[in-house]
Amino acid sequence: MTSGAPKARAHGLIKSPFDLAGGVFLLALAALGLAGGFNLPSGTLSGIGSGLMPRVVAILVGAFGVLLIVQALFFQGDRLESWHLRGPVFVLGGVLVFAVLIRGSTLTFGGFAGIPLLATVKIPALGLLVAGPLAVIVSAFADKTTKPLEIAVFGVVMTLLCGILFKELLNLPIPFDPAGVIPDPVYRAYLGAKSAIALAFGIVKNLFVR
Amino acid sequence: MDLLAKFATDLAGNLSLGMGVALSLKNLGLCFLGCLIGTLIGVLPGVGPVATITMLLPITFGIDPIGALIMLAGIYYGAQYGGSTTAILVNIPGEVTSVVTTLDGHQMAKQGRAGVALGIAAIGSFIAGSVATLVIAALAAPLTAMALLFGPADYFSLMVLGLMFAVVLARGSVAKAIAVILIGILLSTIGTDLESGEERLTFGWTEISDGLEVAVLAMGMFGFAEILRNLETTQARDVVHGRIGNLLPNAKDLKQSAGPIARGTLLGSVLGLLPGNGAVLGPFASYTLEKKLAQDPTRFGRGAIEGVAGPEAANNAGAQTAFIPLLTLGIPPNVVMALMVGAMTIHGIVPGPQIMTKQPHLFWGMIASMWIGNLMLLIINLPLIGVWVRFLKVPYRLMFPLIILLCCIGIYSVNNSPTEVVMTAGFGLFGYALIKYGFEPAPLLLGFVLGRLMEEKLRQALVISRGSFMTFIERPLSGSLLLVSLILVVIAILPAIRQSREQVFQEAS
Repeated sequence: MTSGAPKARAHGLIKSPFDLAGGVFLLALAALGLAGGFNLPSGTLSGIGSGLMPRVVAILVGAFGVLLIVQALFFQGDRLESWHLRGPVFVLGGVLVFAVLIRGSTLTFGGFAGIPLLATVKIPALGLLVAGPLAVIVSAFADKTTKPLEIAVFGVVMTLLCGILFKELLNLPIPFDPAGVIPDPVYRAYLGAKSAIALAFGIVKNLFVR
Repeated sequence: MDLLAKFATDLAGNLSLGMGVALSLKNLGLCFLGCLIGTLIGVLPGVGPVATITMLLPITFGIDPIGALIMLAGIYYGAQYGGSTTAILVNIPGEVTSVVTTLDGHQMAKQGRAGVALGIAAIGSFIAGSVATLVIAALAAPLTAMALLFGPADYFSLMVLGLMFAVVLARGSVAKAIAVILIGILLSTIGTDLESGEERLTFGWTEISDGLEVAVLAMGMFGFAEILRNLETTQARDVVHGRIGNLLPNAKDLKQSAGPIARGTLLGSVLGLLPGNGAVLGPFASYTLEKKLAQDPTRFGRGAIEGVAGPEAANNAGAQTAFIPLLTLGIPPNVVMALMVGAMTIHGIVPGPQIMTKQPHLFWGMIASMWIGNLMLLIINLPLIGVWVRFLKVPYRLMFPLIILLCCIGIYSVNNSPTEVVMTAGFGLFGYALIKYGFEPAPLLLGFVLGRLMEEKLRQALVISRGSFMTFIERPLSGSLLLVSLILVVIAILPAIRQSREQVFQEAS
């Protein structure tokens, strides 16, 4: 594992931007925690209410945030690590594509926090057959060396293998092809092959198990 | 003497009961499959046991609880062993415990002795695993009996101790390590409060009113965030190109390794028992010890077989004995065991002292399967090393999208919920942020799992004591556990010890 930030030292008022950012991050989380539980009762010590634990822990998180910020002002530390956009955008984008397509969904734009409802988009359920390769292809672009054709073929093949593994062998209730993307003759041929295999397996089994 | 004899017959009886369960054709098959698939995924560089178990969790859904647990345990050992294989052949440790193996293991591989390194790792792991299984079987009954003496206050303090261990063992800043555990505890309070039924920290979002799923958190932070990290650090993947060479160590190798394996097994077994991921220490401690004992310490780091045999034995022994706190007290000592809690809950099993008394078949069957799993690893892995090597040559640009696909299918299948897939992506980003700000994500998950239990026990303890915090200090067990926790924090903060702690990790990485 690689550890920590580049070892270059920062100058100026803030001696450790790395710790400062960490501290601010903690403060933000603490604020979220306090906001999320502000209306919950603390209760008494002999009958602790639902709000006490989140509140106390959030305050402690905040306290460590302050500690880190103070530390950042007085002690030399590391420079902040730079964020890369390409990785998170494509990797998490691929995951989101999967989530949206697997069972279909209705996306709404706006309609919260005072923003008027701008648009709703209805996405049909496309199942693993479509969501799988797309998730593979989209996420693959997080890497610069990805070859489009290679990854497209790879995505389709791996999705089919996953379909056989999770759908046929493990019987997971994951939708595979709800939209009927696979042409009917192909699907029938597949069913035929499947029952042929089951038949052959049955014959072999009968030979050995009586 | 009578007591000892009774203990021995009990143990033999229990183990044979377990063997009866584990040796059924179905459970043997599940154990085999688990080990095989676990190794298959675990061998992929950058995929540790945590990611492997989360990814493969759904494949156990259709199986009965005992079969599922046997398979999951198999997946766990497989992933562990796969990680060692990667460490030796590619110089990339799958997780912290195989960091040490890269030092001499990869050097051996470069010298054309990859086969011997893999062989001795497998043999050492098998011996350590066998001994550790016996340790678990022997300690299970007395520890379970002890667990029944634990009151809520004692449980609470024990968990505090476990978390403090995790702080001491985490890398980098102590403040950040404590903060990250607190974040985990904060996340654990999300969802409906069990006592009052009030929704907490949900911001009105109904999807999380049942609380966050462990698998979602683990997959986001150890699956996705890890991939994001790997994409940025262009690791020089140093796959050994030459021959793997003879797998079986010769007489001289065996003679050199016997001592280290015995000492590593002992160290690993004891350290694995500690709450708060003591198992991590095993390989480091073993490596340091062997280096000190060696007649010629300069050989270490240049392909000394002792540097592979000892740490690998310690690694596997610790991985095994880490089950003890989970099975007897119901407290997961590390992230992998935290995931096991999640898996057990899905199958309707509540980990804790009652498993052994109420479900002896499950308990002893699982323990017996541990030994069988270790044997299987030895049998299936050595002939399959050629296959693993070919796997390692698959470029990362193909591997990571496949991992993402498997993660997506896995998370979706836990509750058939697309929303949880989205949440996992969110936690991927969260984990990435944590890494960027210098927080290690592993203790967060431990805090998350222990958080719920801690709050429950805290409330119970305070109800019993009528609101007096003194109960935590006055109860002898609880008081001494808290005292040890305090000493641990002081130790972690003391500058001298901090330095040597850094040194241990520096030397290893």
